[in-house]
Amino acid sequence: MRDADGRGLVGVGLRSAHFPRLLGCPRTPVRWFEALSENYMDSEGRPLEVLLKIREDYPVALHGVSLSVGGVEGPRPGYLARLKRLAERAEPFLITDHLCFTGAHASNLHDLLPLPYTEEAVRVVAANVGRAQDALGRTIALENVSSYLTYPESEMAEWEFLTAVARRAGCKILLDVNNIYVSAKNHDFSAEIYIDAVPAKLVAQIHLGGYSDMGTFLFDTHSRAPTQPVWDLYRRAIRRLSGAPVLIEWDEDVPPWETLEAQAVKAAALREEALAQPA
Amino acid sequence: MPSPLEALQRRFVSAVAEGDGALAAAVRGGGRLSPAEAVAVYVRGYPARLTEALGETFQVCWRVLGDENFFAACRDYIAGHPSRSHNLSDYGSDFPACLGARPDSVQAPFLEDLARFEWAFKELFHKAPHDGLAAARLAAAAGPASRLRLGSASVLLALNHRVYGIWRRDRADDTPLRPRDWEGAERLLLYKAGSNPVFVRELPVPEHAALSALEKGLPLGEALAAADGLDEAGARTLFAFLAESGLIAAVAP
Repeated sequence: MRDADGRGLVGVGLRSAHFPRLLGCPRTPVRWFEALSENYMDSEGRPLEVLLKIREDYPVALHGVSLSVGGVEGPRPGYLARLKRLAERAEPFLITDHLCFTGAHASNLHDLLPLPYTEEAVRVVAANVGRAQDALGRTIALENVSSYLTYPESEMAEWEFLTAVARRAGCKILLDVNNIYVSAKNHDFSAEIYIDAVPAKLVAQIHLGGYSDMGTFLFDTHSRAPTQPVWDLYRRAIRRLSGAPVLIEWDEDVPPWETLEAQAVKAAALREEALAQPA
Repeated sequence: MPSPLEALQRRFVSAVAEGDGALAAAVRGGGRLSPAEAVAVYVRGYPARLTEALGETFQVCWRVLGDENFFAACRDYIAGHPSRSHNLSDYGSDFPACLGARPDSVQAPFLEDLARFEWAFKELFHKAPHDGLAAARLAAAAGPASRLRLGSASVLLALNHRVYGIWRRDRADDTPLRPRDWEGAERLLLYKAGSNPVFVRELPVPEHAALSALEKGLPLGEALAAADGLDEAGARTLFAFLAESGLIAAVAP
């Protein structure tokens, strides 16, 4: 994923709106794609065909939303086997999901629900990550989620929880800079302290995305380009995390390819700029 | 006795899926949100996601019903049907029956059939194309006693109303539907012909009967005999289609 001009680390989310364009093999500075695991693990049709075609030319990461790694019931039966089958076919350089729970087996809420930052939650997540990594035969990475509420019983800061989980579970971190910003504003903590506290060697990937300001809180909508404060945090993060692949994530109101591509170019340029500055 | 984490997660699921208000007492709101407002962010997101999933699968039902009626149908369906799958696109298998039982069906009695068609189309879209037998091989192998197995990427539908024309209608065509647009039964074959596009073929009653018999495992001769009204020319046309489309995946003597 690294190429001569140093731009090789920036990718974008693979979205069906861009399939026709991408199948035309355009020249693009985008160097890799992230595919939503659930969109492909149950499909043998056109979506999987396109993913495997893209994979012939680009590295791919698989990003899930339903592992429910923080759920007390653990992953749903059959989920890991399906994910493994997809991974065998797509050969991703990384498999990721979210540090959250998504509901219960009998009622999947299809949301990234926040966990309390407790020792019990660390234990549950570590056990579930262990099951996932055993089933998949590889290390996965977990992403910090945006949240709109917290729990009084939390025993540590979010970044301490994220780090404790990764260390205990033996997994990596997908650091979503936008989510850090959203949660920092919502819960009144320092995003800079968070960024600086996460051990660089644990970070396997960085996400950048856009949020919506709802007036009374920030909402993680992934429906627009990253905002200036998120770019500023990214500049700070990338100096410590220069080896991590970076992804522009845009899930709602997906823009034309050129708009998405321009964000990837910007991320690559800012990375070069940040790395060129003296420490 | 559930652990603290288990109890919290149960409360969260109850709050979002069933509207139980107890969770608000156990959280702090983010931003300038009160605890109840913060919980409401998650509560609102749940039906929105499931409605979006239903809208994606049942696009034409949505168009026919209009926003207000479609969203009302979604609300009622979601209230009684939690999602049990990891995949949102699995949601809605019982939605056709739900539409059929609604008052909207008095004005548009074809809704359940239209929804059944859309669900079948979505399911087939995600199936792998099967390897169909080449025409020459099928012709050489098939005799009256042989059993022709339809490929896995195919679905036969017998509907009480004509919905394919409604489904095919141009999105921009807002001419009101009239009973003549849907009145009459319809038999359809949805299939993939060796690659991923989904094809739809309207079947005369005898062809549908013959293919249904083949699907049940009857020998070719019996399947054709079971198809009332299928004369020799019709049988030849059907066989030519089977050979050309790659619909048959295997022939057993």
